[in-house]
Amino acid sequence: MVASTDLGFFLPGEVIKDIESKDKYTIIGPGLRRNEEDPNSLVATQAGRLTFRAPNTYWIESRRNRYIPKKGDLVVGVVTKKSGDILKVDIGCAEFAWLSLLAFEGSTKKMKPNVNVGDLIYAKLLNAHKEMEPELVCVDQYYKSGRLGVLPNEGVLINITLRLTHTLLNAENPLLRTMAKKFPYEIVIGVNGKVWIKANQAKDVLTLCKAFEAAELESEKSIIEACRQHK
Amino acid sequence: MDVHSKEFISSNTPELKCEFGALSRSDGSVLFSEGESVIMASIYGPVEATFNKIVIDKASVDCYYRPKAGVPGVQDRLRESVIRNICEIAVAISLYPRTAVLVNVQEMQNRGQLISCAINAVSLACLDSGIDMKFVFGAVSCFLSNNGELSCIPSINEDTVKAMLVFVFNNTTGGIIASHTEGCFSIEQYKIALEMCRKESRNVFKFIKTSLLAADKL
Repeated sequence: MVASTDLGFFLPGEVIKDIESKDKYTIIGPGLRRNEEDPNSLVATQAGRLTFRAPNTYWIESRRNRYIPKKGDLVVGVVTKKSGDILKVDIGCAEFAWLSLLAFEGSTKKMKPNVNVGDLIYAKLLNAHKEMEPELVCVDQYYKSGRLGVLPNEGVLINITLRLTHTLLNAENPLLRTMAKKFPYEIVIGVNGKVWIKANQAKDVLTLCKAFEAAELESEKSIIEACRQHK
Repeated sequence: MDVHSKEFISSNTPELKCEFGALSRSDGSVLFSEGESVIMASIYGPVEATFNKIVIDKASVDCYYRPKAGVPGVQDRLRESVIRNICEIAVAISLYPRTAVLVNVQEMQNRGQLISCAINAVSLACLDSGIDMKFVFGAVSCFLSNNGELSCIPSINEDTVKAMLVFVFNNTTGGIIASHTEGCFSIEQYKIALEMCRKESRNVFKFIKTSLLAADKL
């Protein structure tokens, strides 16, 4: 994995010059927009640290907490409404996401999966245009469910910050692996900040919640350091 | 996260203090004090808009101002509209069509510079929530006394204040984005006050940046 570099703290409206991307072709992530007056610079739209990853990607690591849907995101949601073949799922953004009952593996007009209001769903965003309701699916491009679908009723749903989901989903982060050495558990992390946990005892779930609470206030380096001590 | 503006204290400017994340359930919240005025501000957004508030091409901004006691009155409605208008131009509302952005302002303590305090608190709350913004705004208020003196600190005796002028600036060009005045003054005095507040606004932006940096250090 290519390391990303920190280029300092920016406030909305501040102009970012000295773009180092290859061939003047820049990919911009959240918190940035292109500057209309000067094509070789960017303008920050969120307060946070500007990060650059070679060869040409820039984004801002901000303290955002409201989830904005993006195409292809894997999210955990709560079914809030069921009408006919359509489910409305709360994924934490401005609107309820739309999920067809036919978008499950092996589902047909006659054979529909058993989904009720209040169930938890692990799904993928098929469509996330800002002018439209987001649309979810529980199958991949080969019509297989993979790990998507309705989550079992035994688990617990908690909310964590968006920043922490990115930390936990980073494959190099040792927090989840270190916890798994202590006790077995199943976890589903949606990038919308909703996390589903299932463990043998309620105590283990609480331990995980406590660990996430502590990790929210720590930097990535100190999490790695703390995990090393518990090995 | 408490942040104090110790390095910005001078005898003729109000001291700024803020605490981020004062409320746990909102997207962004701040407890902010300017001199002895204190405001709690919080932002929710973008959230689902009610049917009659939906705008097809941008987010609708709503501001709710709560006074210390009692129900909001006419004065509070005026403050609401001032804050709403500023938020509408500063927040990139075109990025979130058909949604709503809710701004809640709770007055905690009033010592004169309430409007500028509320505007600065909303600015910090917006930054805390991470909503996309075109620029950061900062407000400075200025008081004209009966003997023609201009000061950023309100006089203890309210009767000696002839006029209050509030200016809101952006951080990119330093241009003025809103002005609110109460009382009698001449055009000359207005111009002098504007220049004075523009200078002072740099301190406000410096404070915003240092306090966010302190909150960001994990």
